[in-house]
Amino acid sequence: MTETRVVPVAPNAASGTRIERLGRVFLVFAVVLTGAVANAQSQPQTGRKEIRFDVAPNGTINLVNDAGLVTLKTGPGHQVVMIYSPHSNKMEVDRESTPDNRRVEIRSHALNGQQPTAEEAKVDMELTVPAGVAMSVSTSTAPITAEGLAGDVTLSSDTGQITVANMVRSHLHVRSVAGPVNLTNLSLGHVDVTSSGGAVKMVNVTGPKVNVATGSGNIIYQGDCSGVGDYLITTHSGDIDMTLPQTASVDLNARSVSGHVENDFPLQAKKHPVFVPKAGSSFAGTSNSGSSSVELRSFSGRIRVKKQ
Amino acid sequence: MGEDEEEMNCQQFQEVLPYIIESGGNEEEEAHLRSCPSCAELVRDLRYIAEQAKLLLPMHDPNPRVWNNIEQSLHQEGLLPEGRMSRQGHTMTYPTPTQSKSWTPIGWLMALAALTVFAAVLVNYKPSLPAAQSTAQNSSTQPAQLATDDQQVIGQMSQEDPGVRRAYEDGLREADAYISDAEQAVKLDPQDAVAQEELVEAHAQKEMLYQMAAARSLQ
Repeated sequence: MTETRVVPVAPNAASGTRIERLGRVFLVFAVVLTGAVANAQSQPQTGRKEIRFDVAPNGTINLVNDAGLVTLKTGPGHQVVMIYSPHSNKMEVDRESTPDNRRVEIRSHALNGQQPTAEEAKVDMELTVPAGVAMSVSTSTAPITAEGLAGDVTLSSDTGQITVANMVRSHLHVRSVAGPVNLTNLSLGHVDVTSSGGAVKMVNVTGPKVNVATGSGNIIYQGDCSGVGDYLITTHSGDIDMTLPQTASVDLNARSVSGHVENDFPLQAKKHPVFVPKAGSSFAGTSNSGSSSVELRSFSGRIRVKKQ
Repeated sequence: MGEDEEEMNCQQFQEVLPYIIESGGNEEEEAHLRSCPSCAELVRDLRYIAEQAKLLLPMHDPNPRVWNNIEQSLHQEGLLPEGRMSRQGHTMTYPTPTQSKSWTPIGWLMALAALTVFAAVLVNYKPSLPAAQSTAQNSSTQPAQLATDDQQVIGQMSQEDPGVRRAYEDGLREADAYISDAEQAVKLDPQDAVAQEELVEAHAQKEMLYQMAAARSLQ
């Protein structure tokens, strides 16, 4: 006869120990998570943010963002979509609108008491705006890129590159201290560029009025100067390089006070020139029907006109 | 803008530059030299090159006494054995001062190199400042002093990025030079409408810089 020995055992001891262990882990996790959430909520978040707001159909958006990137596009609808990414939590972006949404102010700035470094001060912004909304953008070092905008657009930067493409029937004003300016496919509009030291490059830029003036920045123009327009390109000490197709219909005057002037583009002499051309310093002539007036002026820079 | 027929510009001056290096210029050319620091510096550099090229040739052999002194020194120091340098029976001749000098191949090469540099400088030199005008800028190695108003504008930008501040300084110097040049052009021909437009444009450049700097400092 076998003897059965009963050994008293605590009920679910092993499982209880496991539960206690899991409970402790969960408690620690909850504490850490709560702390993290509380900390995050007490400070602005970096990372990509998107906001949407209304602007009146003929309204104006003024944007100031010193460092980072600024990208402007046109989109459907009547709302502005702004996506921005501060590079640090020391920067924030404010937005204010008038009650009728005719004017919207957007500005990035450092938080009170914060002194961000050059990298920390950067905010990358991308705005998609309805067609017809006037834009005014000012940066210090941030490059500005604008694509497909319409209406009045004013872009201003100290040293950031300004790139504008695909605008039709718009008024574009560009001001630059030393940053390069690149304009591509702008037509049937008014273009007004003033740059002190930044170079200006224009490809297929035409319009009723194109005014480009630099102090020392070089100017490059590639296009046909069409649109029966007035083209005035002046510089103090920069060089002007213009490349025209044979089909360009221009009334061209070029003169430099002490720089050299070269012409490789076929021109017919004018019957009634405004000035007497002087070899090496000035030339004047017309091509085809001379529809557009093109004036190239420089003090000490070189002027060169070539055939495409 | 009226073309000034009386005053020579830098381009015209450079066309006659090879003749000026050789024999000096006429009154008009000398006047341009006096008024244009860029061309004056070029002429100084080219004259220096020409002078240095002359010094390279011909090569002269030293006086025979020099060789004798060297030989004596070597004997005294024991570096030369007795009799080695004896020339009895061995005739050595040196060119006398009255003999005609000959150009060595090295001299020819150096002269050719100097002339090549001369030609390269002449072809590629391009003045960066216009002629016959006094601008706010000094030579290219020393930036011009900013005007008092300009310094105030820059002073308000002390908190800005150094690159941005430098860009404004350069821009203001350039604008001042532009205004100076445009004023000169208007002074030469007050009836020149284009010169007047250039002066307006020059001031507009400076105005743009002031406006942007003011907006920057307000921010």
